[in-house]
Amino acid sequence: MFIQAMRRLTPAWTAVALLLCSGLAEAQGKRWAPLEPASDYGWRFGELFWLITTLCTIAFTIVVILIAIPVLRDRAKPGKKASFDHGSSLHDKRLTAVISVITFIVLDAWVLVIAMRDLREAYWQIPEVQEPGVHRVQVLAQQWAWNFRHAGLDGEFGTPDDIIEMNQLTVPKDRPVSLQMTSKDVIHSLFLPEMRMKKDANPGAVNETWFKPITAGEFTILCAELCGYAHYQMHGKLHVLEDEAFNEWEAEASELGVISNTSDQGEPVEDEEAQWAWDWQEYAKR
Amino acid sequence: MSGQHIHPVPTNFFRKHVFSVDHKVIAKQFLWFGLIWLGIGGIMAMIIRWQLANPGEPVPLIGGMLFPRTGGVVDPATYNTLFTMHGTIMIFLGLTPMLIGAVGNWCIPLMIGARDMIFPTLNMLSFWAMFLGGAVGFISLFVPLGATEAGWTGYPTLSTTVGTVGAGETLWTVAVFLIGASSIMGGINYMTTVIRLRAPGMTWGRLPLTVWGIFYTSVLNVLFIPVIGSAMILLFLDRVFGTTFYVPASIMQGAGGGDPILYQHLFWIFGHPEVYILILPAWGIIGDLLSFFARKPAFGYRTQVGAMFAVTLLSAVVYGHHMFTTGMSAMLGESFMLLTMIISVPAEILFFCWLHTIWKGSLRLTTPMLFSIGVIFVFGLGGLTGIYCATIGTDIFLHDTYFVVGHFHLTMAASALFSVFAGIYFWFPKMFARQMSERLGKAHFWLTVIPLTYVFCIMFAMGYAGMPRRYYDHTSAEYLQALQHMNTAATHAAFVLGAAQLIFVYNFIKSRWWGKPASQNPWEVGTLDWTVETPVPHYNFKEIPTVHTGPHEFSHPALGDDRDWIYVTEPMPGSAK
Repeated sequence: MFIQAMRRLTPAWTAVALLLCSGLAEAQGKRWAPLEPASDYGWRFGELFWLITTLCTIAFTIVVILIAIPVLRDRAKPGKKASFDHGSSLHDKRLTAVISVITFIVLDAWVLVIAMRDLREAYWQIPEVQEPGVHRVQVLAQQWAWNFRHAGLDGEFGTPDDIIEMNQLTVPKDRPVSLQMTSKDVIHSLFLPEMRMKKDANPGAVNETWFKPITAGEFTILCAELCGYAHYQMHGKLHVLEDEAFNEWEAEASELGVISNTSDQGEPVEDEEAQWAWDWQEYAKR
Repeated sequence: MSGQHIHPVPTNFFRKHVFSVDHKVIAKQFLWFGLIWLGIGGIMAMIIRWQLANPGEPVPLIGGMLFPRTGGVVDPATYNTLFTMHGTIMIFLGLTPMLIGAVGNWCIPLMIGARDMIFPTLNMLSFWAMFLGGAVGFISLFVPLGATEAGWTGYPTLSTTVGTVGAGETLWTVAVFLIGASSIMGGINYMTTVIRLRAPGMTWGRLPLTVWGIFYTSVLNVLFIPVIGSAMILLFLDRVFGTTFYVPASIMQGAGGGDPILYQHLFWIFGHPEVYILILPAWGIIGDLLSFFARKPAFGYRTQVGAMFAVTLLSAVVYGHHMFTTGMSAMLGESFMLLTMIISVPAEILFFCWLHTIWKGSLRLTTPMLFSIGVIFVFGLGGLTGIYCATIGTDIFLHDTYFVVGHFHLTMAASALFSVFAGIYFWFPKMFARQMSERLGKAHFWLTVIPLTYVFCIMFAMGYAGMPRRYYDHTSAEYLQALQHMNTAATHAAFVLGAAQLIFVYNFIKSRWWGKPASQNPWEVGTLDWTVETPVPHYNFKEIPTVHTGPHEFSHPALGDDRDWIYVTEPMPGSAK
């Protein structure tokens, strides 16, 4: 009976095989997963993702088996009668309740507990300014570019030694990077795939988030919220430098910042476009 | 009810086929309307897939005709229009008219034993409001300065004049508003009809699950469509009269001072129930069909009705999971995460009931049954992947990537579409008095379910790998270039999926006019819609029937060996009258 059923499904198997072949031919030596996480939060994402994947795979396999058994076993045959069961007895109701509670605990509650732990231990813990080693960055998104602003050596935003970068962001390794972001025009979303980090930049409000890079190197900045014509081209590079290299870069760039914001005679230049810094407040702690 | 009003059969062509107040004609109007839009939305999906696999290359066959200015190439603005209108069309003009308009109009009066809807004229208005909405949506594609480009969610400030200047976006708000008005009219009509016009003996406990599903959907429509209506009015005012409900002071040089996030709250208070607006009728339909074709009573009828009620209640309090990256506070984020997890409980109960319904049945694997089982399969995949999206820790990364695209296509698109197909194959003999080809139907099922699963499972991999959605060209960023092979694979499967729908179109058209004449009750089902003759006479029931049994009394021991079903109008043999 089983073989017969399988034979009847020949077109289906053929289609599956063809699709798999086309997929596998395409996939030779190609990437199927995100690049290795480069932030400490990234590992938490990976752990949670694979926990959910394992649980879902088990649950879905059970569903498929429970579809397959009756489909293969309980096909209508002359003289065969279905069992008569309304499933309305107290026993059935208890069974339904017990199974759904077990499913909820195994599938949802477990994930919920781990997710809450991660959120409270890391995700919501935006570092305070006084914490040692915090590096702060202000982000101004616009159609279609990312502007980043570092406080520079004086630690104050909106001063001439601020460092301004466009479509690239330089941050130190192993130090928490605290980001505040807003937008000039439409909603954008700062997406750092290797850091497993994403936050919307909304016009008219300041959002904040943080991450802690644990690997030095060059990473990706993308925009994740549809922002118009060139949304797909709104990307940049994230440079994570070792502490020493970063300090060197910061000192140098901070000085350059002064130069670029003053005239040849040393007078400060009124460059409206560059005057977008805001007072650093701790928005989430309100 | 004896006091139902009866109009004479209209003789005028317009009163009979165009401005008809007959629920059966309106159901067919909704069906054809939905099918045509589904075709247009589907072609848009194919063009989108072509562009993603072959960025910047001219679209073959139809490209030169559709985009003459670029020589058949989809440019970024057109691409944005395409996915915006694909979403809008599929949800508001494809699935809504077919699932709620056609199935609702066809089934409610026939299944509860009524001669028509309680408000026939309102019913007609509901269709024509939707038709008007569709027309405005269609016109919006061809207006100066460009069509809508802000995504089907239309987030300001991109959807205000800050981001899109074209009149197309303004017309889009009007179209969504009109379609919403149509849904509200339908919802009021459906609810009142179910409450007032049930035949004697058709108690709430004997309503087919299809009617329950549509009833709950109507409640959600009436409660939450007004919210999107107001959101659209405010957006319209912002665009046309320069108000600043959604435009912050920072953009307006200090004037005004609205909030773009306000729109997102309004949109998703509607938008999340909208998912259930489309899925509740689907759940109802398959709850019935699984029982009909397993020749077994629906397992836990009351449990299923209760679970659907719980989903209806909870649907509006989980919406925040669409907004985890907008800067929601920790307390709000965690609450929405918990609530979203809780709404999975009624869904789990429904799965349990469906799987139990087909267990130890006597399964007739007809096309409607295959599609119903298909709903369990695709909704299983889609529902489980919802856990990733509900969990803030994983959603932060997966939000606005293809993972989400895969997830919602499997839940609200594929599940709703499969139930529409199941419904069409099932009610076609009653609707058009002809039988659809089973052989073609089964080919259609297999050639749909396999590539569909493949396309959207690849999207899970794409999303996990970090590919953002709504990108015109993924090869532009270095990080995404290595993932392009998945786009190619998804496109191949999507073309197979698209081509398979031609089997359905052929089967539908051929059977409609040249199919085998259908008998009165080809599926051997006992609900009221199958007690009337085929074709269904004007005003359905010569006499309002009296209902004696529930809709799912299959294989009842009292029925003996020669037949395993009973009309709901017949008393169960051996039971006290």
